[in-house]
Amino acid sequence: MPDTRDTNDKDELPSATVVKDGKVPGDVPRTPPPPAKRAYKRRWSNYLLDKKLQLRYVLLVTILSALISGSLGYLVYQQEHRASDDIAASLAEQVKSDPATYGDLQKEAVADMKARDEALVLKMIGTGLGLAVILVLYLVVMTHKVAGPLYKVSNHFDQMAAGKLPKIWGLRKGDMLQDFFASFKEMYDANRARMTDDVAAMEKLVAACKAAGVAKSGDLSEELEALEAHVAARKQALS
Amino acid sequence: MSNERTYKRSWKNLLINKRYQLRFTLFMVGVSALLMAALGWWVMQTANEATNVAIGQVRGEPCPKVPDISEPTDAGGDTKPTTPMKLPPDDPPPAPPSDTDDQDLGHHRNVTVTLSSITEVLPPDYAALAAGHWTCVIDHSGKIEELQQGKMRIFYVLLATGTLLAIALAFYGIKTTHKVAGPLYKITLYFNKMRDGRFDKVWPLRKGDQLVAFYDHFRHAHEGVVGMEKADVERLRALIDAAEAAGVAGSSPEVDAALADLKTILARKEKSLA
Repeated sequence: MPDTRDTNDKDELPSATVVKDGKVPGDVPRTPPPPAKRAYKRRWSNYLLDKKLQLRYVLLVTILSALISGSLGYLVYQQEHRASDDIAASLAEQVKSDPATYGDLQKEAVADMKARDEALVLKMIGTGLGLAVILVLYLVVMTHKVAGPLYKVSNHFDQMAAGKLPKIWGLRKGDMLQDFFASFKEMYDANRARMTDDVAAMEKLVAACKAAGVAKSGDLSEELEALEAHVAARKQALS
Repeated sequence: MSNERTYKRSWKNLLINKRYQLRFTLFMVGVSALLMAALGWWVMQTANEATNVAIGQVRGEPCPKVPDISEPTDAGGDTKPTTPMKLPPDDPPPAPPSDTDDQDLGHHRNVTVTLSSITEVLPPDYAALAAGHWTCVIDHSGKIEELQQGKMRIFYVLLATGTLLAIALAFYGIKTTHKVAGPLYKITLYFNKMRDGRFDKVWPLRKGDQLVAFYDHFRHAHEGVVGMEKADVERLRALIDAAEAAGVAGSSPEVDAALADLKTILARKEKSLA
């Protein structure tokens, strides 16, 4: 609802205003908000930028680790199982000689060893899975540091393909391929600077022709108009 | 001249982007080495335990005993040690046997030694028992040695596998990352040319290279910049032609200077596209 108060009437008491969320309606901050900073934050949702590249490496290292852990884990289990079998065999011999004394002991020991062997397998599976999860997460983050710059450069490539050369910013801290990006930025900035200089030179000719009054009609006039439009388009592409 | 460029990978230039390639390769090798070391240690601990149990079991198996040679056995009921026979002190020492001994029995004491009193000390199957005992002892020693060798074999196999795996992974890692670093290196070379204002033809990647999609993006970017340059050339050429046709040269020093600048730019752009 519009405010109908006469603000010039200083004798009149101001009408009550509702303070909401600590702000009076119509309050305008004295200082404008700071310009939006181009700060990119990594999110879990977009960590897999280049699935093919990233998953290839992630799968390679994970499968390799699984193979090593699996085969060595099997060796551990085999050795443990062998020890259990040896003890069981030894106890079985004892039972043969004195079933009354060793019978229960054997059953107890065998059950205990079986439980230990099973616990070992579970422990190994748990450790392996935990390791795989940690490894996959770490590798996704690690490969993202390569895929991120490539994704960013790809976007700039797309802009270049569309005939646009806007200003670009550097990579995030911690990103890899810094050398590659520096090389790209050097090329990009050089082309941008050259285009900007060229546009300035074209603009200068248009202005000089206008000042000299040499292009009032004819082909030159049309060409100058076309050049002006070209300069405007270039300026937009460079902005 | 062939239009197709063929590059061959050589081991010499596999490490193009050392920082990137070594980081990924070393990570892979490091993870594998850590796993091998940690699990290998576990394997060795368990193997040691299993070996000790097995050795204990081997030692616990009794070997057949061998009767002591110095002690007589119970066989024959004679457990007393044999003692040398003593003659009564008043008896004269026995004379050497002669043909007349049988006739002079009243003067000499005859001693009859039967072999059974000696052989009764050793059991009849002594040799078999001794052989059985020592065979068993040797067999046990052999088994224990074999078990210990088996444990060491596991250690050597682990060590060799770990070393080979690390070496193989290092090579594989460098070769795999090269397939990413290669296209990036190639693109960097084009960047250098583009930075210097040279827009040469962009050649395709080698077979087996990765980042094919990324490279396509680059090719389109290159085409985009080339398109911009071509548009500039077209526009500048048309303008300069129109200006020359209109005879604007000499109309003002500013126009002349600006026109000269544009001609230089046109020449540069035409050269860059050549």
